[in-house]
Amino acid sequence: MSTSDRRKAPSAPSPNPATVPAAVATLERTAADLEAQLHHEVRTLLANWEAKKASYRGADYVYNVRGKEIRVKNHVESLAHTRIPKISLPDVKDWGEIVRWCMQENVPGEFPYTAGVYPFKRTNEDPTRMFAGEGGPERTNKRFHYLSKGMPAARLSTAFDSVTLYGEDPHHRPDIYGKVGNSGVSIATLDDAKKLYSGFDLCAPSTSVSMTINGPAPMILAFFMNAAIDQECEKYIRAHGLVDDVTAKITEMYAERGLQRPQYTNADGSTELPDGNDGLGLLLLGTTGDKVLPPDVYEQCKARALSSVRGTVQADILKEDQAQNTCIFSTEFALRLMGDVQQSFIDRNVRNFYSVSISGYHIAEAGANPITQLAFTLANGFTYVEYYLSRGMKIDDFAPNLSFFFSNGVDPEYAVIGRVARRIWAKAMKYRYGGNERSQMLKYHIQTSGRSLHAQEIDFNDIRTTLQALYAIYDNCNSLHTNAYDEAITTPTEESVRRAVAIQLIINRELGLAKNENPLQGSFIIEELTELVEHAVYDEFKRISDRGGVLGAMETMYQRNKIQEESLYYETLKHNGDYPIIGVNTFLSSKGSPTVIPDEVIRSTAEEKQRQITNREAFQKRNEGTSEIALNRLRETAVANGNIFEELLEAAKVCSLGELTNALYDVGGQYRRNM
Amino acid sequence: MQDQTPYTPSNTIRIVTAASLFDGHDAAINVMRRIIQSTGVEVIHLGHNRSVADVVRCAVQEDVQAIAMTSYQGGHVEYFKYMYDLLAEAGAHHIGIFGGGGGTILPTEIDELHAYGIKRIYSPDDGRALGLQGMINHLVSSSDFVTPVTFPNLATAVKDKNHAAIAQAISSAERGHSELVSFARDTQRAPVLGITGTGGAGKSSLTDELVRRFLLDFPNQSIAVVSVDPSKRKTGGALLGDRIRMNAVSNDRVYMRSFATREANVAINRHVKDAIDILSYAGFDLIIVETAGIGQSDSQITDVADVSMYVMTPEYGAASQLEKIDMIDYADVVALNKFDKRGALDALRDVRKQYQRSRRLFSNKPDDMPVYGTIASQFNDPGTNTLYRVLIDKLVERRQLQWSSTFRATQEMSEKIYIIPPHRTRYLGDIVDENKRYDAFVEQQSQLARTLFNVRGTIDHLTSLPSD
Repeated sequence: MSTSDRRKAPSAPSPNPATVPAAVATLERTAADLEAQLHHEVRTLLANWEAKKASYRGADYVYNVRGKEIRVKNHVESLAHTRIPKISLPDVKDWGEIVRWCMQENVPGEFPYTAGVYPFKRTNEDPTRMFAGEGGPERTNKRFHYLSKGMPAARLSTAFDSVTLYGEDPHHRPDIYGKVGNSGVSIATLDDAKKLYSGFDLCAPSTSVSMTINGPAPMILAFFMNAAIDQECEKYIRAHGLVDDVTAKITEMYAERGLQRPQYTNADGSTELPDGNDGLGLLLLGTTGDKVLPPDVYEQCKARALSSVRGTVQADILKEDQAQNTCIFSTEFALRLMGDVQQSFIDRNVRNFYSVSISGYHIAEAGANPITQLAFTLANGFTYVEYYLSRGMKIDDFAPNLSFFFSNGVDPEYAVIGRVARRIWAKAMKYRYGGNERSQMLKYHIQTSGRSLHAQEIDFNDIRTTLQALYAIYDNCNSLHTNAYDEAITTPTEESVRRAVAIQLIINRELGLAKNENPLQGSFIIEELTELVEHAVYDEFKRISDRGGVLGAMETMYQRNKIQEESLYYETLKHNGDYPIIGVNTFLSSKGSPTVIPDEVIRSTAEEKQRQITNREAFQKRNEGTSEIALNRLRETAVANGNIFEELLEAAKVCSLGELTNALYDVGGQYRRNM
Repeated sequence: MQDQTPYTPSNTIRIVTAASLFDGHDAAINVMRRIIQSTGVEVIHLGHNRSVADVVRCAVQEDVQAIAMTSYQGGHVEYFKYMYDLLAEAGAHHIGIFGGGGGTILPTEIDELHAYGIKRIYSPDDGRALGLQGMINHLVSSSDFVTPVTFPNLATAVKDKNHAAIAQAISSAERGHSELVSFARDTQRAPVLGITGTGGAGKSSLTDELVRRFLLDFPNQSIAVVSVDPSKRKTGGALLGDRIRMNAVSNDRVYMRSFATREANVAINRHVKDAIDILSYAGFDLIIVETAGIGQSDSQITDVADVSMYVMTPEYGAASQLEKIDMIDYADVVALNKFDKRGALDALRDVRKQYQRSRRLFSNKPDDMPVYGTIASQFNDPGTNTLYRVLIDKLVERRQLQWSSTFRATQEMSEKIYIIPPHRTRYLGDIVDENKRYDAFVEQQSQLARTLFNVRGTIDHLTSLPSD
């Protein structure tokens, strides 16, 4: 044991000198015996403790990521010239404490990752990821460029309209028409996806795209992947001076059939690109790379695109059935589709894209308390793990493609939700599933709670959001969306979204304590709360296990009923005032803090809706004949138990979302509602 | 807040409840429909994500007084107006449209919708002023009327298979105005398939799967579904909940009508028989009558059905329990649904034996008894395919029908395609055990390290003493 610590006990009584040598000899034997009982990893951690502390004390910290050496400054200097350590380690001497701390807490980036999965936060990228989507793809594209202006990284997060969320096409039928482009962007074809992300290099490491879609996730993902592939093709075409040739070829294709080529068209009808959009992704609008490039070149572009895209698709069908209700297929078929996507990701080396965002957010929004949110979500995550394993995938091939998404409210448990999630996941991955370090690392996105936004005294909402964002940043979330204060009553404006982004930026860049990256560690309450929540989650796991696991519990609607019960409890306390909400049920203004009614709500315009319908019709007309062939192949693949996602990658080039969805209903069955 | 005592209706009121198209927010409508039921109303609940066509089709076929909707996902102005238009097109002006959508529906839009003819959109302020029961009292009292007969010649309209006319004819019979439906009395009855079974056995899912197959198998034939659920004796209200699971009824060749047992509280009352006559007169090619299992009266289904089926699950307890199930003695066919449940094969054997015993068919093999394992919740389930074909063949035989089914059944048994293999369903318990084992290990190692630290400290202390 290299750590030898010579302590002086101030008032120790002096023993008889004659008996000392014998006593020391006995104690040495005891020590040797104890040491032999220590696990070799524990002996190593004790041996390395002082060195580990020292590595955070020098100017730079050095570590390796995928074979690359990374150097990070260990300190940040304040205005008063205090050197603020990024990682602060406990100053404990007792080896028992050191062992426990290293095995249950540890520094960020080391098992069990309680304090964070990476040793340090990224310095070139804030975790900011703002959700946006409204009208047609062009309007949302403009908003994306507005949000990413001046940011070192483009972190886009896409909200789809409800027509898209349920896998249908924009249509004149009034019950569909009214929802086109409202509360999200309307995406029905590959053309739409290309416009939506145009001007962002989808294969650049500084771009990452999140897509909030579940039932039709495989189809939308196929649109996205094709948009990225065609961007790679476009880059190839530009690099090889083929722009004129290709443009001529496309013009000819359209002229031959007497059709008009689709075009990027703003809400007001103009066609100029918004500030920040350089047009990447639009060269091949209305066609696909395989129609204008030789097959081998296309395949290379495709492989390159798929292995470099970065982002997340929500695709979490279990929480849909438990809380949010955007299920379109039978649950079993939906799970099979998810498995096909993951298998495809493994086969095609898609390493930087999360195939699922296992979400507690909607469970919390539906009324679950933080413990239930965490327990249900982790349980869902382990269900995907079990399913993928049962399909023969290897844990380390897919676990790194899983990500998580939680809500942060103001409840005390939210202070430690990330800590508990990371710790439970890491232990289970390491010891139950034998996963490697990448598999053990749970990464998650936080959105501040929508339910905590109130329609009274809406200015106060930013205060709540700030506190929730602070929880999230101190807890080392990997990505963060802060809600706009007016979201309780309307669609956020550029002004309210700017304020919401400012909340994060002020914490990240101004707030001094946030320069330290493990500010929660070492707090008595944080440690105790972590343990309480961890054990409460285990208790819930056991209740679900007793009901036959997540799917068994879903059969009797266990999760749904529990969420409803907890929602009712909150509503009751809110109603009778036992749960105080400032400006809502207490501390009312002299006017009684009335509900704020917006003057007007941003809605998609008639022109935008019409354009989406016209574009969808033109797309279908353009692909008449070829789309039927693609849909038949899709159905045949499904019936023959082939990989449906592989076939979707092809069919998405010529079929609309609604066509794909309806073809899959024929072979997979529609969702059956229950109560 | 207003008086919160429930309103007492003077007529039998039926209301459709649902959430709008592409809208998964069903919490509010679920709370509302429970209060509507407890106010003595028969509620046909359709759940979330319902198109206007679905809701209107249901409202017309069920001859309701009102539709109560929630819409939280936008597009409400178009949605409600379109609903008004489609109701008008179906000649159902009398069906009132009521709705709510919290703050998503602006006050100006509420005015616009009221002006268009929507009966009432409740705002958050209404909720505060009236309270939930107050709001429901307003809805129910505004719907407390007898639904009209709008066709001057009901018989002709029924003969034309007009769904509104059929609905009005059935309601008239239910109200005791048999003179209005005397035209149907001596009709040759259409083939009737009776389905009964215990609650939760998956009757309506199975019915839906049979209807879906029928529509595919016979592209030119029509089908009617009559479904009976029990009334609450205390309030008179009822939850008519079968329709929510029926995906196949969104088809013009299908008419579905939900019944509450009302006073009689027997599964098959006279009104159901009247309904069968009316539907036969309308010319439906097949009528399915589905009843809830409410005890002894189950076997009445055999009085009206040409072929009857009993739906149960493998979870009935000990084999001796089977001796108490009357319907096993009477049903032509037994479906053992949820065949993925534990002990399904044992159950199949026991039910077949019971079927054999009750009919003294000892010269036949138990395996030849018409008992089939099905998993209705699984798409294109082989067991359900077999069951469908058997039922059609029996109907053809009993009624000498000229149908030629081309439906292929492979005689395969239902086999569950497992998402989680059965031997792995304890995975969450295993994780808890594993993680707690780690925690115990940490504590044990931590204690060892602490003792070692203390021993080392003691040694250091002793050896550092001045040796005087």
